[in-house]
Amino acid sequence: MKKIISILTICFLALCLVGCGSNDDKNDDVTTVTWWVHQENSWNIAHQELADAYMATHENVKIEIEIFPYDDFESKVQTSLINGEGGADIYEIWGGWGIDFAPTGALLKLDDELANKIMAESYAPTYGALVANGGLYGVPCEFNTETGGLLVNYNVAKANNIANPVPATWEEMIANAKAVSQLDETKDVLKGFDFVNWDSVPYLFLSMILQQGGEYLVSDNEINVNTEEAKTAFETLTNLVLVDGVSNLEGLTGGSDMEGYQQLYAGRCLYVPRGPWSVAEGVNTFELALGEDFGYVELPWWSGNVAYVVENGWSIAGNAKTAHPEIVNDFLNFVYEDENMLKLNVACSQIPSKRSIAESDEYVSQMEYVKPLLSILDEAEFIGFFNTDRLKEAVNDAFVNYCLGEYASVDDALADLNVTLNSIFE
Amino acid sequence: MKNKKFVYGVMIPTLLHMTVFIIAPIFIGLFISFWNYNPLSSDNSFIGLENFIKLLSDADFWKATKNTFFFVFVTVFLNIGLSLMIAQLISYFKSNKVRSFFRMIFFLPCIAPMVASAVVFNRSIFPTTTGLLNMFIKALGLSPINWLGDQKVIMFSLIAYTIWVDIGYNIILFSAGIDGIPNHIYEAADLDNTSEWRKFTKMTLPLLSRTMQFVVVQTLISHFQMFAQFSVMITKDGPNNSGLVLSRYIYKQAFEYKNMGYASAVSFVLFIIIMIFSLIEHRLNKSDWEY
Repeated sequence: MKKIISILTICFLALCLVGCGSNDDKNDDVTTVTWWVHQENSWNIAHQELADAYMATHENVKIEIEIFPYDDFESKVQTSLINGEGGADIYEIWGGWGIDFAPTGALLKLDDELANKIMAESYAPTYGALVANGGLYGVPCEFNTETGGLLVNYNVAKANNIANPVPATWEEMIANAKAVSQLDETKDVLKGFDFVNWDSVPYLFLSMILQQGGEYLVSDNEINVNTEEAKTAFETLTNLVLVDGVSNLEGLTGGSDMEGYQQLYAGRCLYVPRGPWSVAEGVNTFELALGEDFGYVELPWWSGNVAYVVENGWSIAGNAKTAHPEIVNDFLNFVYEDENMLKLNVACSQIPSKRSIAESDEYVSQMEYVKPLLSILDEAEFIGFFNTDRLKEAVNDAFVNYCLGEYASVDDALADLNVTLNSIFE
Repeated sequence: MKNKKFVYGVMIPTLLHMTVFIIAPIFIGLFISFWNYNPLSSDNSFIGLENFIKLLSDADFWKATKNTFFFVFVTVFLNIGLSLMIAQLISYFKSNKVRSFFRMIFFLPCIAPMVASAVVFNRSIFPTTTGLLNMFIKALGLSPINWLGDQKVIMFSLIAYTIWVDIGYNIILFSAGIDGIPNHIYEAADLDNTSEWRKFTKMTLPLLSRTMQFVVVQTLISHFQMFAQFSVMITKDGPNNSGLVLSRYIYKQAFEYKNMGYASAVSFVLFIIIMIFSLIEHRLNKSDWEY
């Protein structure tokens, strides 16, 4: 009996030792690096093609891609970067996470040559969150804009006899929106201009401030919205709900079965300002024809001046704790090459972070619907080095609470908002 | 001696498990609450009671506390009242099969993961335009209600969902309690022609006090900790934070704002609240009888 127990114990310990072994595949001089990405079928195919292309020219490297559903992905990436152990060598990261991790040394600092190249060749607002301690901590892939594009439901326009569904001016857009809006919930609801969503309210608010020549960022860690420009912007946006009645608050307060852009595809909105990522759902899920049933056009600028802010989009970064920093850096250089970045941007329906790709005929011919945005990329400003979710939450709360009558005046709402916004920096 | 060894053998793993996963986290949480702890920051300083002092002037914390108390008291009261009533009604059926059938029907919502059923309510029952409830309301010629977006209605929608999803568990417990009361006690009452209501209030309820104590404590604790429906069913805590409760506020501070120290302080306050209510309930429901 004792013998059997001893043998079993030895087997168990041996198994444990095997299990605890390194995941580095050193056999045949092949080095394995892992790359974590979030689940999105067309994106994952592009990731695999990118990895395959790299491995084809680097026979001693094996890139293992691990795919996670978005929520798991977010928590896994953040947990591994906070702990500094057990993560991947390479991460697909959302730009906003750069603010959290670039300054802490959790991400791998890019080599100077690549960093300088990115800063020279990419649009500045696409890498702002990845800059820290005088270095760059990731390769920006996407120009992530939620402002500038407008979804138009041509069928709704036609059914409501709107002669000019693609508006040339802000006033024309609002006039069309008012003409079709029907918010009485005992009948079928139709929203004219459904800008009330998590991204659009804050982005339009900040854009309107900039369009008047104002600023909201006083310094790197101070925001001021107690200004005349902010007051005008806030009044304009809240009046769209309270006076013009072109949308209701459902997009922020909840209660609806779909998001605003999905409601547009379902024929319950005329206009919705959203990023170009929303187009694919109209075509694939709602099976509508782009250009016939709906369009993606340039959002007319409220004051006529083009001015807006963007935050960082999807990027690729290395883990500072990787055992293979040379390979990771080399792979990031490979990703940033025009040919590879172009394939990635097209497969992921992204607006490129890299100027040369955004301006290339090859990209434009494959991504025609983003044309309205390509001409305004140079006008964008980086939103600022802070947690953008908290900024959005603060602006949206002030917007909703003012519309619900919780504030006596716009000044009160903005005074409160100013305090909340500056608490982000504490 | 052998018996003692067996008891130790059984108890020690449980005690270890409790120490590692329940007792230690409470003390670690309390320890963290004295620090300005952000896992992303390299500067995590000791700040003493500052997090607790900050709570006193935090409007969102007070709103979350108020909402939590409202939610817990209404749901616990309704849950216990309804589940007791249903369990009593089920007990009137003579057939075991019929009783089991009804218990199963009421218990079914408890089997589904709360997140999944919350999504179903969020997407199919409550939506303003296409939700089942509003379809009925519209068919009656009434104005639809924004169940999950109107700050005056939102908490009642969450309470209704919570009652639906959680009532089955207590029905089973009360049913077991009622079935456990010996028949001969009722036979004596039947001889005196005692009404059903009198039997229920004067015999069943007092004899259920041990079950009641367990049910009340369990329901109180679980409802103070409810999270899934507040996270899944409503958008960003509802308008004007009308759906913000303490568990959601802890999550928000810890994982959205990364203020782990502050979140730990809120958690500790919630722990104290639950402990106080459990002790009060324990005192009030002391019973010293035997069948």
